[in-house]
Amino acid sequence: MIWPDGFALAVMATKFALYLGVLGAAGTVMAALMFRLERTRALAGGFAIVGAGAALFDFSLRGGNLAGEMSGMIDPEMLGLLWSTSVGTALLLRLCGLGLLITGLFMARAGPWVSVVGGVIAIFSFLQVGHISARDTTLLDLALTLHLLAIALWIGILVPLKRLTYAAQSYAMAADVGHRFGVVASVTVPALILVGGYMGYQLVGSFSALVGSGYGQALIIKAVLFAALLGLGALNKLRFVPALRIGDPAAATHLRNSIRVEGLIILGILGVSAILTSNLALPL
Amino acid sequence: MKKIWLAGMIAIWATGAMAHSPLDETRPESGTVVGEMPSEILMNFKGDIRLTRVTITHAEKHSMDMDLGAQNTFMQEFALPMHDMGAGGYTVEWRGLGADGHVLSGSFSFSVE
Repeated sequence: MIWPDGFALAVMATKFALYLGVLGAAGTVMAALMFRLERTRALAGGFAIVGAGAALFDFSLRGGNLAGEMSGMIDPEMLGLLWSTSVGTALLLRLCGLGLLITGLFMARAGPWVSVVGGVIAIFSFLQVGHISARDTTLLDLALTLHLLAIALWIGILVPLKRLTYAAQSYAMAADVGHRFGVVASVTVPALILVGGYMGYQLVGSFSALVGSGYGQALIIKAVLFAALLGLGALNKLRFVPALRIGDPAAATHLRNSIRVEGLIILGILGVSAILTSNLALPL
Repeated sequence: MKKIWLAGMIAIWATGAMAHSPLDETRPESGTVVGEMPSEILMNFKGDIRLTRVTITHAEKHSMDMDLGAQNTFMQEFALPMHDMGAGGYTVEWRGLGADGHVLSGSFSFSVE
């Protein structure tokens, strides 16, 4: 078995932090606006800072990769060269988007909207680089945008919803938010499955490539993890949230534990995604 | 649990740990034995690339960076002057930036009698 070297691990870990930061920040501000959640500023700001830091480090690592040595990470020539390509555009969109998102957190009335626009700009950066952007089709771009927005919202709702399950006085609010997210998810989840399947088919192309290539196998793992996430989501929607709505205190604990596991699964999905985008080549 | 996750992740990584291979042809061709020391190394890529570093290693010992000249655009064909380091095996390792922003790298080998 080939063990990834330190550099490859750093690239993967940075991508993982980038996905978590950007999607978490955008998802938190979207969820806050949609479900009128409170006390989300520190959470969204934290995600945004992680995302911005990872975006910068990812750019720097690419410089190192380009030069074939660590010094490339701060080499103005390598970084300037990268800046002139779509990688530079992606970095610019990430930093501007997350900057706008953070600015919105400190604004009054229009703040939440400003933050959401910033989050969408940061998510839009993922259309600039990668296997999808290389295909250059509007439909795939649209599919990836929907895919990322839907998963971002899922990430964004988790921590605020979990918080609401701790105290008895917020059970009603937890049940209400859980219920409304369930309604939204009944639209976004089928969309996630459809566009995920469509992108997978476009990128991998055949069943033999799906089972025979590393990329395809990683995609299968991602789909299995997503199916598990879906199972928990259904359990929340059909069992725990309705029970919480009628004031069952045990449902709060069940919901909290379920959200915890959902969080772990999402981290797994982001991890597999980081591997898919950093090291696996598409089947030829 | 964490260890299982990590092992799983590394296994996925390892099964497909290969870079994109955008090199169309080289001269000398990869894996061939040539009778005379070539005056230059030719590399022909499938798409536009900007080479950032090319190193050549002789007999797995002596390694040096090849002169990339004053190239400052993305192109497909490169001819790099070769230094005579004697008979034996040579490995050329290259890396560069694809026009789409992907970092590309690869290597090929040949021998001189």
